[in-house]
Amino acid sequence: MDVLDQLHAVHTGRLSRRDFAKGLLGLGIGAVAIQAAPSRAFAQAGDHAAVFTWGGFDIEELYGSYVAKNGALPEFVVFGGSEDALTRMRGGFVVDIVHPCLTDTPRWIDTGLFQPIDPSRLSNWGDVMPGLYQREGNDAGDGKVWMAPFDWGGTSVTYRTDLYEPEGGESWDILWDERIAGKIGMLASGGDSWWCAAIKAGVPFSEIHTEEAFEKISAVLRAQRPLVRVYTDDTTTLEQALASGEMAAAMTWNSSAVLLQSEGVPVRFAQPREGQLTWICGFMMHRDAPNPDRAYEALDALLSVESGHFMIESYGYGHSNARAFEKFDEETLRSLGLSSNPEEILTAGHFGVPQTQEWESRMNETFELIKAGF
Amino acid sequence: MSPTLLFLLVGVAVPFLALLLISFWTRDGFGFDTTLTFANYERIWTEPIFGALLSRSLWISGVVTVATVLLCYPMAYYVAFHVHRHKMLWIILMTLPFWTSYLLRIFAWKVILGYEGVINASLLSLGWIAAPLEFLLYSPTAVIITLAHAWAAFAILPLYVSLEKIDRSLLEAAADLGDGPARRFFRITLPLSMPGVLSAFFLIFIPTTGDYITPALLGGPDGAMIGNLIQLQFGAVNNWPMGAALSIVLTLWIAAIGLVFLALSRILAQRAA
Repeated sequence: MDVLDQLHAVHTGRLSRRDFAKGLLGLGIGAVAIQAAPSRAFAQAGDHAAVFTWGGFDIEELYGSYVAKNGALPEFVVFGGSEDALTRMRGGFVVDIVHPCLTDTPRWIDTGLFQPIDPSRLSNWGDVMPGLYQREGNDAGDGKVWMAPFDWGGTSVTYRTDLYEPEGGESWDILWDERIAGKIGMLASGGDSWWCAAIKAGVPFSEIHTEEAFEKISAVLRAQRPLVRVYTDDTTTLEQALASGEMAAAMTWNSSAVLLQSEGVPVRFAQPREGQLTWICGFMMHRDAPNPDRAYEALDALLSVESGHFMIESYGYGHSNARAFEKFDEETLRSLGLSSNPEEILTAGHFGVPQTQEWESRMNETFELIKAGF
Repeated sequence: MSPTLLFLLVGVAVPFLALLLISFWTRDGFGFDTTLTFANYERIWTEPIFGALLSRSLWISGVVTVATVLLCYPMAYYVAFHVHRHKMLWIILMTLPFWTSYLLRIFAWKVILGYEGVINASLLSLGWIAAPLEFLLYSPTAVIITLAHAWAAFAILPLYVSLEKIDRSLLEAAADLGDGPARRFFRITLPLSMPGVLSAFFLIFIPTTGDYITPALLGGPDGAMIGNLIQLQFGAVNNWPMGAALSIVLTLWIAAIGLVFLALSRILAQRAA
């Protein structure tokens, strides 16, 4: 073994610079090879479905029937933002199913990287709320859909009720409040932050593509930047910072508030008077999915009532299975910011409008400039 | 063709030329406009963000390099000259943090520097501070501390090797001729260990300038480095040609600084001789 030889050389004091350089070269190749090996294996046909999803959806509770049948969980790769996921797949990364949101799907479909999902292969499809999948652009013909809806919810502000009292009621102004400068957390992905800033700036989503909207939203985000402690895609970072008091308020999804409340941290998931950003996310299947049969099994598990119970109870997200809501009374749902009728929530908030790829790239570029301080 | 040449060609020259070529293209939706143009380089020259992040990266990794070499030199010196038994054990112990994953070390620093982290908790319990120090995390300081620790092994090993190789009789001769310990160190030990210092400089400066994981996790809004910007071009911003151009510019900068440093050390060595 090379490394042992080197250690021996160090021991006897005979390690030359050339040997050392050789060792480093070996280490370098090793590091590259270690990185390459799993990703290659990941893209190959194997025993398990490859699921490309957000952090927090890679857990056993959501894949009950899949695990029961196959004896193990699917393989997971986690992303922090769906745009990152898309560029990785554009670069040749192959998975079975991936977890974007409905606003993204038209652009994703245009890349030609995805195949329609056949609902007749999903035993739980009959319980999926039609309002979530009968949406513009999602019909792939022949009764197939591009995206099978899984979760829905809102992006809003989670704040510490003991550290901070919003002036004049709950609103997006919380995240722009000078009183908690340096104690504000933001999601790093433009998919959330840009749209929420549009709500704050009073830009209707139907006009978000205009030049004027770009300027207004940029101005709002630039003004906020000095107040922000950190921009992150990692919700755990925001949750821990809120729990410790490092942050008094942060932009989050439903789950952060629910998790913190279950830990006894005094937080509220705000119902801003301007409305939350609302979203529906789900799964799309890769065109070259190596394990489509396993992928359908994983999808079926995700759409099950059991997975729905977990989503609602533990994360506070809406689920796409209508029967999952039967276990909860309206009051519980309302306290989570949910409803058994998703339309009620989705229309009360602001629902993203699909944009072109040019817009998406420009938006991300501008937001990155702003985050870096320009 | 020798295997080395083949390896260099496939592993270095071809990717570099591909990068160079792409850097003269432009983004076109999800594809590339393959008309050759200097547009990306013009943007890097004219838009302030690129220069600012580039100079911040060079500055941060310069500080990291100097700090690491200064901290590691005494450690390597001690093992080379004052440890006579179990030298290997000492080296292993010093490079022990290097045996865990880089990511793990970053998270460990997050725990140490954090709002409720080890440092803040100790200072608070001692009553030296009234509120947690916030500049420790999500700042360039956090990036510098973490990088200096994370890359320490890359400095210790070459420094140790070059110190170990120094002929002890030269030191004895210097002492016999009347040099005190300090004079002997600056006239004999330091010049003869310069190869180790130089390797340590390059081994730390080059990779840390382009590092993006540490600034992404610990840097906060003001600690972002050029590596983060490059990564974004290949990710969310979806502008591969721009990412390629930035990588080329970064490579050129590092090469230029490296050459200047090399030339300076040559001149110094000649003067000393």
